[in-house]
Parts: sequence; C-alpha cells; structure tokens
Amino acid sequence: MVCPLAQQHGRCGLLGRRSRLPVVPVNLHPSFRPCQLSSRCFSLAQLTKREQQLRLIPSASAVTAPELELEKGGPGSTYADGAVAKVPVERIRNFSIIAHIDHGKSTLADQLLLKTGTVAARDMVEQFMDSNEIERERGITIKLNTARMKYRSRRDGELYALNLIDTPGHVDFTYEVSRSLAACEGALLVVDASQGVEAQTLANVWLALENDLEVIPVLNKIDLPGADPERVIREIEDIIGLDCSNILRVSAKMGLGIEETLEAIVDRVPAPRNTTADPLRALIFDSYYDPYRGVVCQFKVMDGKVSRGDVVQMMNTGKEYQLDEIGVLAPHKVQVDTLYCGEVGYLAAQIKSVQDARVGDTVTQKKQPASTPLPGYQDIQPMVYCGLFPTDTDDYQDLREALEKLQLNDAALKFEPEVNNAMGFGFRCGFLGLLHMEIVQERLEREYNLDLITTAPTVVYRCKTTDGQEFLVNSPADLPDASRREWISEPYVRLEMVTPTDYVGNLMELANGRRGEFVEMRYLTDSRTTLVFNIPLAEVVTDYFDQLKSRSKGYASMEYKITGYRENDLVKLEVKINGEPADPLSVICHRDNAYRTGRQLTSKLKELIPRQMFRVPIQACIGTKVVASEAIAPYRKDVLAKCYGGDISRKKKLLQKQAEGKKRMKALGKVEVPQEAFMAILKIDREAKDE
Amino acid sequence: MYLRVVRSPSVSITARQAVGVLPLPTSPKPLQLGHISRLDIKAATASALAASAAVNSRVAAEPASTSKMPGDFTVADVQSAYIHLPFCKRKCFYCDFPVEAVGRDPTAPKVEARMRAYVDTVIREMEATRRLGTGTLRTVFFGGGTPSLLPPSLLELLLNALNAQFGLAPDAEVSLEADPGTFNVQRLRQYRQLGVTRLSVGVQAFQQELLEACGRGHDLPDVLAAVEAVHAAGMPSWSLDLISGLPGLTAEAWRYSLQRAVEAAPDHVSVYDLQVEEGTPFERWQRAGQLRLPPDDAAVEMYGEASELLRAAGYEHYEVSNYARPGHRCAHNQVYWRGLPYYAFGLGAASYLAGRRFSRPTRMREYTAWVDTLKLNGGDTLPGGYLPEESQEELLLDTIMLRLRTADGLDLAQLRNRFGSEALTTALRALAPHERRGTVLALDGQGRPCSLAEAAMDAAKEATTAPLPPLDALPPAAGLGKAQVDFQQRSRGPRVRLSDPRGFLLSNDIISDVFAEFDITKHTNGKRTT
Repeated sequence: MVCPLAQQHGRCGLLGRRSRLPVVPVNLHPSFRPCQLSSRCFSLAQLTKREQQLRLIPSASAVTAPELELEKGGPGSTYADGAVAKVPVERIRNFSIIAHIDHGKSTLADQLLLKTGTVAARDMVEQFMDSNEIERERGITIKLNTARMKYRSRRDGELYALNLIDTPGHVDFTYEVSRSLAACEGALLVVDASQGVEAQTLANVWLALENDLEVIPVLNKIDLPGADPERVIREIEDIIGLDCSNILRVSAKMGLGIEETLEAIVDRVPAPRNTTADPLRALIFDSYYDPYRGVVCQFKVMDGKVSRGDVVQMMNTGKEYQLDEIGVLAPHKVQVDTLYCGEVGYLAAQIKSVQDARVGDTVTQKKQPASTPLPGYQDIQPMVYCGLFPTDTDDYQDLREALEKLQLNDAALKFEPEVNNAMGFGFRCGFLGLLHMEIVQERLEREYNLDLITTAPTVVYRCKTTDGQEFLVNSPADLPDASRREWISEPYVRLEMVTPTDYVGNLMELANGRRGEFVEMRYLTDSRTTLVFNIPLAEVVTDYFDQLKSRSKGYASMEYKITGYRENDLVKLEVKINGEPADPLSVICHRDNAYRTGRQLTSKLKELIPRQMFRVPIQACIGTKVVASEAIAPYRKDVLAKCYGGDISRKKKLLQKQAEGKKRMKALGKVEVPQEAFMAILKIDREAKDE
Repeated sequence: MYLRVVRSPSVSITARQAVGVLPLPTSPKPLQLGHISRLDIKAATASALAASAAVNSRVAAEPASTSKMPGDFTVADVQSAYIHLPFCKRKCFYCDFPVEAVGRDPTAPKVEARMRAYVDTVIREMEATRRLGTGTLRTVFFGGGTPSLLPPSLLELLLNALNAQFGLAPDAEVSLEADPGTFNVQRLRQYRQLGVTRLSVGVQAFQQELLEACGRGHDLPDVLAAVEAVHAAGMPSWSLDLISGLPGLTAEAWRYSLQRAVEAAPDHVSVYDLQVEEGTPFERWQRAGQLRLPPDDAAVEMYGEASELLRAAGYEHYEVSNYARPGHRCAHNQVYWRGLPYYAFGLGAASYLAGRRFSRPTRMREYTAWVDTLKLNGGDTLPGGYLPEESQEELLLDTIMLRLRTADGLDLAQLRNRFGSEALTTALRALAPHERRGTVLALDGQGRPCSLAEAAMDAAKEATTAPLPPLDALPPAAGLGKAQVDFQQRSRGPRVRLSDPRGFLLSNDIISDVFAEFDITKHTNGKRTT
C-alpha cells in the first residue's frame, strides 16, 4: 500500500506521541459511575439482559498528559466494566486460526477465550465461536466470527488487545477464509500432532502466506497417545517450509500450552501499521442483518479512525450514513466511542439493505474522504446450483424473504425465481459447494420453519448456440436443443488429494473413474502423498468427498480450485415419467457415461417412486432416443397392522412419518414423486460395472 | 393447508351439564342406543337425561363417555381393561411383543412360581391404580403372550382383583387369547365358570409346514383338537385368528386355510397380515435375504380372497383385519377404535386414561420396579399422569386413524361437531381423490351410498340442527344378537369409510394422506399455530 508522503509524516508524528502514552490501568477510578448512553435505534426495553449488563461504561482517563488532548475512547479507556480496554496501535494483534477440519481450531479458540478471561468458564459452551446451531452440531465453522480479548503479557507487563478472527475450515468456504485473513497480520496454523498436514492445511497456509501473514505453527492434541510430534514437525518443515524450531506444543482440550500461545501471538504477530492520521479507510469483511440495528458490518480500520456519530461514506456505493453505534465484539457486542487503525469492530447505522454496505467495500469519512478505496474482494461466483421449492406453494413468499435474510450474511448465496411444471414456484439457488448447499437448506428448514424440496445440484455450464450466442446454463432444463448447440463446456478444477501412500491406488481409481486427468503425484514424506488431478467440477460435487473418505478409511483429504472451462462431449439426459418429461430429474452428463447413468438413474427412480394405481414407465432419453427404461408395477398393499393391546401410538407414528414424506411429494404429471427421487442422481452407484 | 382446531361447541353433553341443566332441548332424532339394562352407572343422571332428551324412549346416553373435553376426564367412567400375560411356550419368529418363553412344560413348578409372582405384581398394579369414575368394567381382554398358559386359579385371582378394585359387570365381555396345544375342554369349562365369555384362538395357519416356519408352539393336530374343545365347552363367542403373508404361503394354501377356518365355524375371524418387525428372527432373515415372503401382488390377492370368502360365509368385515358374524364383533377392540378410555395392566401394556396414552416397561425387572414405585407413592395413581393430556390435534388424528379402520367409518357430523367445520373440509379434501379411485365410500344418514359431497352436506345440516348422540357409547358385547347391531348401524349419521377390500388394503396410504392434509407435524411450532 503506497501512501502520500505528507500523510506518512503525520502518521510518524502521531506514532511518536502515542508511544509515550502512559498506560492507564483498568478501573483506575472507582468513583466513576456507569453512565447510560441512550441509544437512538432501540429502546431499553428491547435490550436483552446481557446487553444491559454490557452497556457502555466510559471511564476515559483524566490522568493523561494534558498536552495530548486525549480523545474520548482513546487508548486507556475501558468499557463494559473493564472487559474491553483500549490500547495503542502497537499493542493490537489481529490473528486468525487456520487448520484442517477437526484439527481442533474451535477448541483452541475456546481456550484462548477462557485463558484471557474473555468468557467466564461458567458461560462457556463448547465451540463458543461457532454461534450458529448448525455449526455446533456439525462441529464446523461456517460464518466467521471475531472476538476481542484483553491480555496482559508476561513479556512486558503491558495490556494487549488480541483480536481473534475465526475462519471456516471447509473447502466450500475458502472464500470466507481469504476474507478474514485480509483483516489479520498473523495466523496460528494448527496441525493435529497425530494426523499431520492435510489438504486444507496446505490450502489455508498458502492463502495466509499470500496475504503476508506471520504464520505461527501450533501442534495440537499432543496429549493423544497417537501423537507423533517429530514426524508432524518434519512434515510441516518439509511440505510447507515453515521454521518449526520454536513450534508451540498444545493440547487445547487439556488446556496445555495456551499461555505460551498467547505470548507467541504478542511476540510474533506484528502490530498493525499505525496510520491513525490518514483519512479513514475501513474494510468491511462481514455483515449480517439485525432486526433492530439494520445491517451490522464487521470491519477492520486500515487507516485513520472512526467515531460514533461520524458521517461516513461507502466508497463503492457512495451511500452515506451517520454511525449510530460502533463497538467491538468481546465476543458480545460492547459499544465504544472510537476505533483506531488496526482495530477490528462493528458498526450499525440503520443500513436498510446489505447491498448498500457490501462486504469488501471501504468505509471513509464524509468530511475527509480517502482518495482511493481498498482493493476489497472479488465477487464470488457460485459453482453449484439447485432448485429449492416450498412443499406448500403458499410458502413461496416466506421462502423469498428467508433467502433474502440469509443472503445478508452470506455473500456467496445467489438466487433467482424458477418455475416449472412439476414443482411450481421456487428458486434456482447458487452455492459454493455441496456443504454450503446443505447448510443453507438446513437453516431454511430450521430457522425459518420451511418445508423444502430440493432438486439435484448441477454445476454451471457454458453453452454456445449455432447462432453464435453464448450463455451460462445452471439448470439442465435451460440447455438448448442438441440441434441448436455448437458446444457445451464445463468447469474444471485442480484437485489435490493428500493421502497415506497405501491408498494411492484406490484414489487414482476413483479420480480416473470420474473423468479425472492425472497431473502429478508427489511424495510429501515417506508415508504421505499428494495426488493432483484435473477433473470436471461436476464429478466432484456429487458424492466424491464421501467416496474419497470411504476409499481411504477416512485418512485422505482433498482441496480443489476452479481452473477454467473446457469443452466436452456433454449431453442432456432427460427423464420421462409416465411419458411426460420430468425436467427436475434431468441431468447433463458426458456422452460416454450417458447409458450407464441412464440405466442406474431409472432403476433408482423405480425404487424411490411409490407404486401408483397404474403402471408407470420411467425412461431416460438423449433427445428422442431412449437409452434406458424401467416400469413401476401398479398397486401394492399398504395395510394397517394390528393395534396390539390398544397400543396405537406406534402405528400412529408410522402414519405420521408416512404423511410427512407425502408432503414432500410432488406430482410429475399424474405421478406422485417423493423428495428423494429428486436427489436420485446423487445416489446411483457410479462405479457399478455394466453387465 | 393447516388446521385450526376449533373447540367443539357444547354438543357433547358432559356429566356436569347433564346433572345441572335440565330439561335439555328435545332432539328431533332418536339418540343412539345404549344398553339400558347395563346402565348401573350414574343411573340417575342417565335416566334424567333419557327422559328429557329423547323423543324416542330407547335412549341411554352415557354422559360420561361422551365428554372428551379437557377437564371432563375425571368423571369419565373407564369400562374396559387390558391385562397382558406374557408367558409363551416359545417365542414365534415374527413376534416382537413382550413375551417370556417358559418351555414346553408350563406346569413345571419353577414356571408356575414365575407366573404366580407375575400375577401378584399385576394385582399390586391394579390395587395401586386409581379407579376412574364409578362404573364397572364391561370389557376385559387378556392378551399375551399366551394367556391360556395361565392356570385357571391364577386367572381367578386376577378377575377377583379386577372386580374388587374396579367392579366387573355381571355380563361383561371377558376375552382370553388361547393358543392350540395349551388347553382342553376341561380347562375351557373352568375359564367359562370364571366368567370368560370369549376366546381368541391363535390358529394362524392350517399347514404344518407354515406353523413350523413361523416357530409356533403348536402343530396341526393341536389346532383340530382346539377347535373341537372350544365347541364342546360352549363358549358364547370365539374367534379364529389367522396370519396372511407368511413366508412360503401360496394362494392355494391360503384359500385352503380360509376354507378350513370357515368350516371350524367360529363367530369371529381375525386375519392379520404379517408385519416383519424389527429385532425379530424374521427381520434378521429378511436382511440376509433368506425370508421368502409372498410377493406384494400375491399378498394383495390374499387379502382380497379373505374378504370375499369370509363375507360370502356370512361374516361382516367390520375392521381392516377383523370379521364377525352379526352380534359377534369384539366389544373390547371397538373400545380402542372408538377412542374410549381403558385401563391396562402388566408387562408392556398400553393404557389410555384421562387423555393420556401410557405404555408400561417391556422388561420384567423394570416393570416390577415400576409397580413398586406405584405402591411406594401411596397407590391411587393415574398411570402416565405426568404426561400432558392428549391435545385436540392428537385426538383428531387418533379419531381419523381409528375410525377409518372400521366398516362403520368416520362419522362426519361427529367430526364436525368435535373438531370444527374446517377439520371436516380438510379431511374431505384429502379423501376426495380416493373417492374417485373407488377406495373411499360415503354413506348418508340412512346408510345408503352417496357421494362424499352429499355426505358432507348432510353432516353440516345435522351438525347445525341437533346435538348428536355420542359416537363413543360402548358397543354391545360380543354375542348380543343381530337386532341390536342392525339398529346400531341404522342410527348412525353420514359417514365415510374405506371400500372393501381395496380401500382397506391401502388404508395406510389413505390415512396418511389425511394426516398430511392436516399438516400437524412435529415442527409446527411458531407461525402455524396462530
């Protein structure tokens, strides 16, 4: 980042003075009474109890040197009964934790919060940073969260503000990782002391190094019997090239090595550059919608400072807002007066739409605007699409509203209305990957109480027609007729699989069977190997990950990056049920696989579609040519069992379950089709040998 | 579509109202029959009601059993009891009921001691159970297990305890499940003297190889001897029970079994379609691909065959799995299907008291411990009393599920009165496609076939003009004779029922369609319950 010389000057001057600031101990003035700040945007009655406890308590010190003209809320101020203490820029540390899934990132975060007293042990729930119910259940992190911790270093006895910016661990969310890393100066690289370096470890560490972060390696789970620190250290040194001479040895679960980790953060993560005197530039790295505050943005102040009441401008959208509230997450919201460069916080300004304060936008002061915005982020493109339809057509509006709300927190989620004859009105939705899709679906069902039918996911194809038009196809139904197509191309990824050498054969077979092209194989260590393939994304978004896990007994990991599009001999495999085309069941696949896929799809559908009152033929066709055909025989018995001894509850549960399934059925023509049928393509056995 | 459950207008006459508010408005329609002779319960109330409410004097409304509104349960007389006797010689391969196998010799001292101890526990349970209402028991059912393994002396203890604690009506229907090979004519005469009026004989099949294939404890000669003994003992009513869909069963073998069943001249036939239940040997074999169940199409044929053949032989197909000669419907089972309350005692038994469905522990040790706590807590307990009362939604689903099993069907006016017109409309919407397919039939107030729409109109009219008689009045005990049964059927309101056999055959499908239409699901929290 190049700054004008004049500003550099000013900054140095300030830095000089700031560094002489006396440290103001917390709670120096017990006589200060808490003073309530009335907030404009919500009434006291709306405050939760917790928020009331956290209400702003400024105790800006009057002890500071008078010539400093200390601003309210500057270094030395404390908030929320001392839970948050402002410190000079050189004592701020912004860091994140990166790790392969399950290597203990969230547990380590929990321990840091506990050790610094940020969260009291009695308030601790496991995986504190994962505030979302689904995150906790699945043991993963989806949304990034931040937590500001107050830590007095043993090194110099000074108070430091440590900002932990959490990152998601799954391959689908690489994009979010890169966003949070941009707000940090350092990263803890957590590696499981028994499992060693995995695919996502690699991917995330490259991202961190690209962002110029100081990477501090941490060996976790050293207490486990299977731990082999020396081997894993060798791996880290050999594969990543990190110096591990002073690697941290931690057991987050047992609380070992936490203090050392905190010291290492203070010691080794660089302080943010002090550019307090520059015009404000703050990067929005996350936002979400709050019904009382409007859009709440999380941001990092890159240059300058920002105070409550300031009128700010979003540099990309040009919108202006007066800041109702700024604060830090510690990890609950604590309002502060001013945030300085290097600090991470949140703002609320009754921003109505997330479009007005987009992630990646730069916030500047209206009075003294910066000349150029920060680089921001690339707009993310979803790679996987599926149809989401309410089981009850009356819920269409509710679904739209729910999607809009989710989109506020999830820049990667895209949706547009979709109508089709079988499913009625719904939305075509774009996701980063399958996990992302599942999570959105689950949140819609749980948090918004919607019953949904989902169609099988497809990737985004490109298609050029004979009349020279080129367009994106995110639904097989939109694919033009074969006669009008010049070509279809599909996205390819570079897939890296890290595996114990024993399973190389299995994984080679897997990738080859999915149209993968072998690129290279590297031995990471004597027992671990990386396999690299170029492979169509369409092959990866199905059950690839499950297969990888099952063929390597769970030991292999994978990571992929989109590399571009490639023309292939692709065809649309149409499914006809009872003679009528069933668009939601159609798939685009490679011509070489079309016959096999067609046969397996029709036989799977035969299993999944219940018998009707009449014979139902199921056909798979390419154009007008039938490549596979099955039929469901009519009728079957479905009789009530004896309600033995008056115990009717079991029977009733059974019927209720059956009823539940029926609500998820959709009529394709005259045939009722259950939800599972729309996912049939994911369930076929791709490796089955043809007779 | 969702259901807003409407509190029923004050159509059901609660006991309190009946006592306090007289005279009641006169009804233009005859109230449903009751059993005046049996009305030793709340005689004053009932007769007062009868005198004022009925144009037709053949009335005996039973106020207590009509009241389904929350809070009224305390006065509802419970008139039925189920007692579970878990002992069997051996456990059949399809069975997942709580059963204790005692071996080939049920008279061994060790076995008798076990039975004695169990009966003792059950009696303690009875003694610790609160008596609801003041009426006496009018149906008692001993199920199992193989209740006929129990020595008559122990059965007597149980009946005495029931009588002491709850009162046993002198003409109560007392049913007992009895397996061939466990009784002779003397034994049956003893049962008869103790007050057993009805036997349910578990024949299951008339082929030796099928009996072996399902692990029954009896053989074919036992079956023939059992039929003879039942006739010789002069049981007032008895049922012959068969299982269809057994592995290896062919259409011919099934027809043969049915013919032999008819020749045995029972008053009642139960035909249960085999369900492969979790945890049974059958399930294990099925998973291993070793169970040769008849194909679906063949099972469909068998069901149809049974219905055709038994109806031709003069049996009424009065419930999905049950057939009876006129006057021989099992009164106790109808208690279940009509949503009436019942006591239950013994291992794994399910009771329905004060709006709470409660199942007892299915393991002996836990069950005994549970009975001990009843005693410790001072007795006079309502089993499952800690459970919430069944909600209106639950009640609605129960009503639909249970009534649609029966040939009497679902009384539309009753449905409307109790759950509101929206419930009626919703149910009819779900049933309409099935009417078009011929699996659902509608009948008008006179029992003549009509369209669903006409029946619905009738129901709306009836619902507005008069409070209807209770649908829940206890049916006559088995063996009461034709006249009463015919009258009972004539007096019913417009209703829908499943056709026989196609509708019955698809009963799960149809009933779950109705459930789905009501959209009462587990996660109906929040927005839908406004």
